[in-house]
Amino acid sequence: MMFFEPFQLPFMARALVELVLLGALAGTVGVLVLLRRLAFVSDTLTHTVFPGVVIGHLMAGDGGIFWGALAAGVVTAVLLTLLTHRRRVSEDAALAMLLTTLFAVGVVVVSRQTGFTSDLTAFLFGRVLTVTETQLAQTAVVTVVVVALLAVLRRPLLLRAFDPEGARAAGVRVGLLDLVLNVAVALVVVAAVKAVGTILVIALLVVPAAAARGLSDRLVVIVPLACLVGASAGWLGLVVSYEASVGYGVRLASGATVVLVLVAMYGLAHVAGFVRRKVGLSRARSAIVESAA
Amino acid sequence: MSERAPTLVLDRASVAYGDIPVLEELDGVVHEGEAVALIGPNGAGKSTFIKALLGLVPVVRGRIEVLGGPPAQARRDVAYVPQADTLDPDFPVSVEQVVMMGRYRRIGWLRRASAGDRAEVADALERVGLAGRARDRFGTLSGGQRQRVLLARAIAAKPRMLLLDEPFNGVDAVSQHALLEAIGSLKEQGASVVVSTHDLAIAHLACDEVCLLNHHQFGFGPTGDVLTPERLRATYGGHALELRGDRVIVTQT
Amino acid sequence: MSWLDSTVHRALVEAVLVGALGGVVGVFVVARRLPFFTMALTHATFPGIVIAALLGVNLYLGGGLFGLLVVAAVLAFGRGRGQDFSTATGIALSGGFALGVVLVSAQDGFTKDLAAYTVGDVLAVGTGDLVATAAVAVGVLLLLALVGKELLLAAFDPVGAAALGLPTVLLDFALLAVVEVTVVATVPALGTILAVALIVGPAATARLLTDRLAPLFPIAAAIGVGCALAGVWVSTRWNVATGASIALFVGLVFGAVFLGTAVRGRVRRAVARRVAVRA
Repeated sequence: MMFFEPFQLPFMARALVELVLLGALAGTVGVLVLLRRLAFVSDTLTHTVFPGVVIGHLMAGDGGIFWGALAAGVVTAVLLTLLTHRRRVSEDAALAMLLTTLFAVGVVVVSRQTGFTSDLTAFLFGRVLTVTETQLAQTAVVTVVVVALLAVLRRPLLLRAFDPEGARAAGVRVGLLDLVLNVAVALVVVAAVKAVGTILVIALLVVPAAAARGLSDRLVVIVPLACLVGASAGWLGLVVSYEASVGYGVRLASGATVVLVLVAMYGLAHVAGFVRRKVGLSRARSAIVESAA
Repeated sequence: MSERAPTLVLDRASVAYGDIPVLEELDGVVHEGEAVALIGPNGAGKSTFIKALLGLVPVVRGRIEVLGGPPAQARRDVAYVPQADTLDPDFPVSVEQVVMMGRYRRIGWLRRASAGDRAEVADALERVGLAGRARDRFGTLSGGQRQRVLLARAIAAKPRMLLLDEPFNGVDAVSQHALLEAIGSLKEQGASVVVSTHDLAIAHLACDEVCLLNHHQFGFGPTGDVLTPERLRATYGGHALELRGDRVIVTQT
Repeated sequence: MSWLDSTVHRALVEAVLVGALGGVVGVFVVARRLPFFTMALTHATFPGIVIAALLGVNLYLGGGLFGLLVVAAVLAFGRGRGQDFSTATGIALSGGFALGVVLVSAQDGFTKDLAAYTVGDVLAVGTGDLVATAAVAVGVLLLLALVGKELLLAAFDPVGAAALGLPTVLLDFALLAVVEVTVVATVPALGTILAVALIVGPAATARLLTDRLAPLFPIAAAIGVGCALAGVWVSTRWNVATGASIALFVGLVFGAVFLGTAVRGRVRRAVARRVAVRA
């Protein structure tokens, strides 16, 4: 059966586990990104982490990627806070400047190496089919740490997202919380870099949460739903790209296929949510008519 | 009035953001069970006043004492009610969950909400007249109802002082009545209330004292004594219009 | 043998054109808070260009068409309950780009084209491309000359513009079309991500230097041209990626001006305090 067969191959199985983990991780963080309307900030982080990835790889091979990316993420968070501190630069423009300048640094460093193009492609678009068990372990650790952190902080995070003034008045350290979220996003990027590359991580962060939100109004449903959407898109995306390659001889980039599946799921969720609301409205209307009669 | 303990003491206080003083020469006392109305034009510093009571803006001269100590230390027992229209109506949170946020301080980060917490939430919603809407999404309520939910959130926190930032702006009559009732019952239980408002009628109705603000304090004392046409004109920079003797309409806020 | 036969010379002309175009259009992009949206446009025109290349259709057409799709998608997704425009933009951005990646990977030559598209390749600019860019620049300038004042009003005061009876929807559309065309012109040179640098950076820097409207355009254009030229020069001297060099110069100039004006602000405030104390 084509939905399970490919995963008897070890490299496909590893890719699947990686994408399922990433789906759960990005789904959780993504809900917060959605609630705080931080899609652009997250997109910026995915691009500014790139030079960290490149320099880390340069200095310490595959193992250096993690720490380079983390350092870059923290630097970005700090610079962003400084740039927007006195409101002289709009947040949009500040983010765009950070994003492009740091990304350019990464490109310049890579372009000075040989094998420029293929390295660049690997960083930007990922190569999920070459994921190793060590990397799986790293992703698992990051997932557990980040999800646990967000679970522990869920109340202040919720309050801050809903009512920043009220949160401040209640003594919540808003600046610190925001930094925590930025670091969490940076960690997602770090974990996802190998699988889908820095460019497509934003899809993992934004789309599953948006799809889940279109289907439910309750956070207790939205968060697990986002994880489910993320994980199943990973699975389906792998199946599709495998079938295309083996069955039809068409090579489809796996990471990008996963993203396309995600966007398709988002579209479906949007339509389903729309229909559900219409049905709900018409039920309410007929109930009113009945009770008036 | 003199046997009741002071909950707020302003002693010739000035409050500043960085180098720029925003409020100067604040002076007055509020006791348990009393309500004071903050009245002044837009941009006068009413929100800053409230933030100062929360310890969020530094005092650069004089002294502000909340519940017997510096403002930041009193936060456990002070509840803040922001304006409801600053909140995102799409947010996936129920009325119940919003009110439960008022209990976070007591529950902490990790413990589950207890039956006692849930009872407090239900009671708070009852007090603002919204018990039947507990399960509805916050954004499905009207503006006035949302303001009541935010007051319920504050009530659930069992505060000794309540700070309300323009809660009556654009609120329907039913909600206004419910808000006033709830504030009244809180006063009876001994809490102090600081409420900023444009509505002089509300100040007369609900508040024992009035503080007239426009960067400087133009008066602080019993409502009847302080809400005079002359003082109002001074506070609003000459834009108050007198009507029917001692009742004043403010023409430009 | 003309001067334009040299790769570097063509690159310089392209740099001047793109720098000026980006700088001027950027003033609107920054004013209307469109940087993220511009990012989505740069990413989403990618599949359009791939499809256009496949079909043998003009690249501008393909890119432009997909840009319009993105606009429609963002407007459609952004209106649902629980959605907002930044999320919708993120979805359009990643979906569009993923589509392009998939299409390219289904061909051979996956690696090279993709990387070139993402980071640009000024040195591969041909004379035909130059003509196209010049035409775009002239077209945009003409449009701005005609409706520039109205566009400005709608940019800085949308409510006021509507109150004056200006057709704001049409103007918005015109603005988005101008941005889209600028994107399609800039992306081949700088790539999807770094094109945003040339569109946002010079304008943002100009904004730090002056509070008046009129000087914004020449200042932004000058900064854009300067950084683009500098970037081409550095990249040919030291063999580094051109688009990235240009983006780095934009970033450095922005950073320098930011620090400079921040320091100037501090000094001014300190002086004012001293004067106030003495008075």
